[in-house]
Amino acid sequence: MASSSHSSNFPCAACKFLRRKCMPDCVFAPYFPPEEPHKFINVHKIFGASNVSKLINEVAPHQREDAVNSLAYEAEARLKDPVYGCVGAISILQRQVFRLQRELDAIHADLIRYATATCNCNEMPPPMGRTSFHQNSSCNIYYPNPHWNEPYEGNGRSDGGSL
Amino acid sequence: MTLKGGATSACAACKYQRRKCIPECLLAPYFPADQTKVFQNAHKLFGVSNIVKILRSLDPSQHAEAMRSIKYQANVRDRFPVYGCLGVIRQLYYQIQMLEEEMHTVLTQLEMYRQHHHHQQQQQQHQHQHQISSMADDVISQLELGMASSNNALPLFNQVTHQPYTMQNTYSSSDIDSPPKDNVENNSLWIQHLFFDTNNHGTSNNDSPIAIQSQLLVPNSEPLADTQHQVVQDYDEIHPFFDSIDDRQSYIDTKDAEDSSSSEESLKETTQLMVGNVGSKDLKSAAACFSLASVN
Repeated sequence: MASSSHSSNFPCAACKFLRRKCMPDCVFAPYFPPEEPHKFINVHKIFGASNVSKLINEVAPHQREDAVNSLAYEAEARLKDPVYGCVGAISILQRQVFRLQRELDAIHADLIRYATATCNCNEMPPPMGRTSFHQNSSCNIYYPNPHWNEPYEGNGRSDGGSL
Repeated sequence: MTLKGGATSACAACKYQRRKCIPECLLAPYFPADQTKVFQNAHKLFGVSNIVKILRSLDPSQHAEAMRSIKYQANVRDRFPVYGCLGVIRQLYYQIQMLEEEMHTVLTQLEMYRQHHHHQQQQQQHQHQHQISSMADDVISQLELGMASSNNALPLFNQVTHQPYTMQNTYSSSDIDSPPKDNVENNSLWIQHLFFDTNNHGTSNNDSPIAIQSQLLVPNSEPLADTQHQVVQDYDEIHPFFDSIDDRQSYIDTKDAEDSSSSEESLKETTQLMVGNVGSKDLKSAAACFSLASVN
């Protein structure tokens, strides 16, 4: 949570960790309060203070808090799982989406069969429409493509997108 | 940095850092020279030193997967600077929620169809029972009046005493207009919804009832005309379906058996009484009717 008021007597978690004087215009101060030291420690371990500073400055002021919180989340996930980080959670969730979609398709098929078999289509309401989501081939860890234009299609390989 | 002599060029990491790409370069396998943008994203988010630090903390067998996830995370952050992978996770949670809500709605709809189908089944069974009882009453009244029974009634009378299901079978097979076809379809659908009802109690995590359901439905995909043809010959085979179905169906079967057995007993008693009251000539004629009757 961003702290609106900043006092020079209380350095932010970043300046405290970096052992430097916390200036009034400290870029980290609004987003790394001294009450949450591990937030900055995690972010610094994975991304580095300079990278975080650049990322914060590239984002609009009203979005910086969300950006820092997402970085903190990713950093914590990477520390817990150095191999996959937060991508492991994405893979699990995507598999769950696929499984639910398959189940829904099967239930829809049975519902249509049931509706036609009873021969009372006029009495019973028609089966509902279906929600369709983008699906990719399954692999051990799934890297979903969330419907954006892959900027790396011009290259020979598109790593980091849908695989 | 390109080596002289036409050797392989430096990796994207070493190229960016403008240093010699040594054969032992840790990032060379994962950042080929043609993927400068990918490396720039990873370098922007993590930094070369942090990436190397992560790789050195892992077993070499895990390097490939780790780099894959790092590149994916960096590319997502490049595409979505504010939320990054967290935005993807939120999107997936939303999709899951939508799917679960839709599944709940569809299951509710399926339950409606199932109840409607069950209601139809009960109505048909009540109609059959009513017709059977009316048939039995007709037979009794005819015997009381001393009228010669038709060939259809006697075998019906015979089989009532022993085989209630066979009686149903005979009645159904003698009356082509009766809906055995519907019975077959209803039985197959009954199996379908019973398995579904037994094994699936609203949980969306169990794939087996859906699989079982699909398997059961596969044999029933034959055309209706063929089904109608086969019903008359295979109607006896339908009864095992009744036996394998759960308690609800067995309850109905038991009830049918009880009803028919009660009618059997009343017919037996009536027959015994009549045998006692009927003269010998009538007995002989009745015996002739029994012998001449063709039992189907």
